[in-house]
Amino acid sequence: MRLLPFVVLMSAVIALTAGTALTLTPDGRPEPLLALFSGNLPPIERELLWQLRLPRQLLAFTAGALLAAAGGAIQARFKNPLAEPGLIGISGGAALSAALALQCGLPTPWVPLAAFGGGLAALGLTSLMSRPGTDGDRLILAGIAVNAIFGSLLTILIATLPDGSLRTITFWLMGSFANADWPQAERFVIAAPILLWLLFREWRLLNALQLGAATAFHLGFDVRRGGARVVLLAALATALVVSHCGMVGFVGLMAPHLARQLVGSHARRLQIAAPLLGGWLALLADWLAHSLIYPAELPVGVITSLAGAPFFLWLLWQSNRRRRHA
Amino acid sequence: MLEARRLTLRRGERALIDDLSLTAACGELTLIVGPNGAGKSTLLSLLSGLTPPTSGDLRLAGRDVRTLGARDLARLRAVVEQEPGWQPGFNAAELVMMGGYLQGGSRNGWREAMRLMQCDALAKRQLETLSGGERQRVHLARALWQLMSSGESQRFWLLDEPTAALDFGLADALLAEVRALAQTLRLGVVAVVHDLNLAWRHADQILLMESGRGAAFGPPGEIMQKDRLEALYGVRLAELISHDEQLRAFVPLAEPRTRD
Repeated sequence: MRLLPFVVLMSAVIALTAGTALTLTPDGRPEPLLALFSGNLPPIERELLWQLRLPRQLLAFTAGALLAAAGGAIQARFKNPLAEPGLIGISGGAALSAALALQCGLPTPWVPLAAFGGGLAALGLTSLMSRPGTDGDRLILAGIAVNAIFGSLLTILIATLPDGSLRTITFWLMGSFANADWPQAERFVIAAPILLWLLFREWRLLNALQLGAATAFHLGFDVRRGGARVVLLAALATALVVSHCGMVGFVGLMAPHLARQLVGSHARRLQIAAPLLGGWLALLADWLAHSLIYPAELPVGVITSLAGAPFFLWLLWQSNRRRRHA
Repeated sequence: MLEARRLTLRRGERALIDDLSLTAACGELTLIVGPNGAGKSTLLSLLSGLTPPTSGDLRLAGRDVRTLGARDLARLRAVVEQEPGWQPGFNAAELVMMGGYLQGGSRNGWREAMRLMQCDALAKRQLETLSGGERQRVHLARALWQLMSSGESQRFWLLDEPTAALDFGLADALLAEVRALAQTLRLGVVAVVHDLNLAWRHADQILLMESGRGAAFGPPGEIMQKDRLEALYGVRLAELISHDEQLRAFVPLAEPRTRD
């Protein structure tokens, strides 16, 4: 793909994102975020937009982008189109670990780090069970089981605690951007570009890994070290999202796939297109979660899973069909 | 030079490669032949540095392979596996360019590699639209670009059954091209092939393998003895020789079926 069509396409995605953010309000009233800039808003509305909606949208967009970048990297690393942070165990481990850290009263900056540790431990368990390199499907099977175990442990943990001492089970298992505030949004606005850049920098390795570990080695890549680097970055991105927003499923699966349809598999384009699409998907899902049963609110993960799980099944069907024809 | 001395690879009790020695010079085509299961692909995997030998010594351009990292190895040798991996969503040029990812090299040198492998017309095609034979050429160009973009003076091109996806006319043409490239670019080429007659026609040296061991190693004329091949493959062979004695070929003869 040439540079110009790619730039045009990405500009379109950015415009779409901005349009979503600026025009869609949860209650369908005609006062979009755009009105912030026109200046003729009552102070209370202004405050509402500034203090609630803007940080929430920033959080949703950056979180979606991080999940998508992590998903794209993990799909390349394990040469498995069905992989994503939630399906190989990282999210479940991260959520349990973050909840434990909150319960133990760890200071806020430590919670994502605890989540990172938990995510890696869960991924370690998944890899141990599946022996990567033998069969890609086993990775997913093991990952789903590991995720279920950690989800159950999390549920037990929260159920045994007095009400309200920790965020709700629904928050952790289904995710939400509703608790967004400026400190969180600021953290993401700073951390997300750094993590996205670090993952983008690995595009050569990510391309080579898509040819398989042996070919990547022959091309001169240190597969073990490079692969570990990629997985660590992806786990870090996932842990950051999970510790702030819970488990928002399937964004890391859908966004890279849609991006691949649009711009091809080349990681130099994919690791730009996937985060942009992921951010937009998360923003859109958050708006739906917010507005479908307004004034009540759905967890955002309900929307992403409702769209993502059938998507996953479709991919499964496709890969089965391809295998039969091969 | 590529120098392998007394290479052995054990898996448990079994020796997959057993005390095998081999040298290959730059500018020459060394072909590995032998029956199925003789360990040809395993040997190539050892020579590429992907699988470390249990014992023995392997040197590329005088450097001990055990001391080289993946990046240094990639400057000395390029590999095309029997069924190299690929992904839909890349075009042929993008795949070829991967050969030069870690070397730098000139910006458009990959085009030359594609032209040399006669697949430059495929550059813009998506990999999933290529035939098996076309994809094989693109992978050969990818490996060739890896060597062309390396600054080393001694480089080795390791090919595992490059002719597997080709009919015998194309297979013959490909080996002729590879040999010509070996000579003009001063590459040491080590390739596994199945077809004895192809090996005989194109090789500068032949390594004949039998259950992990080197049964014979040398110029084709010395190696391709009817008795030896009959014993190795367990079939009767007829040897065809053209009138001017320039062309030789073996044809397996069907055993007359015993009636029972």
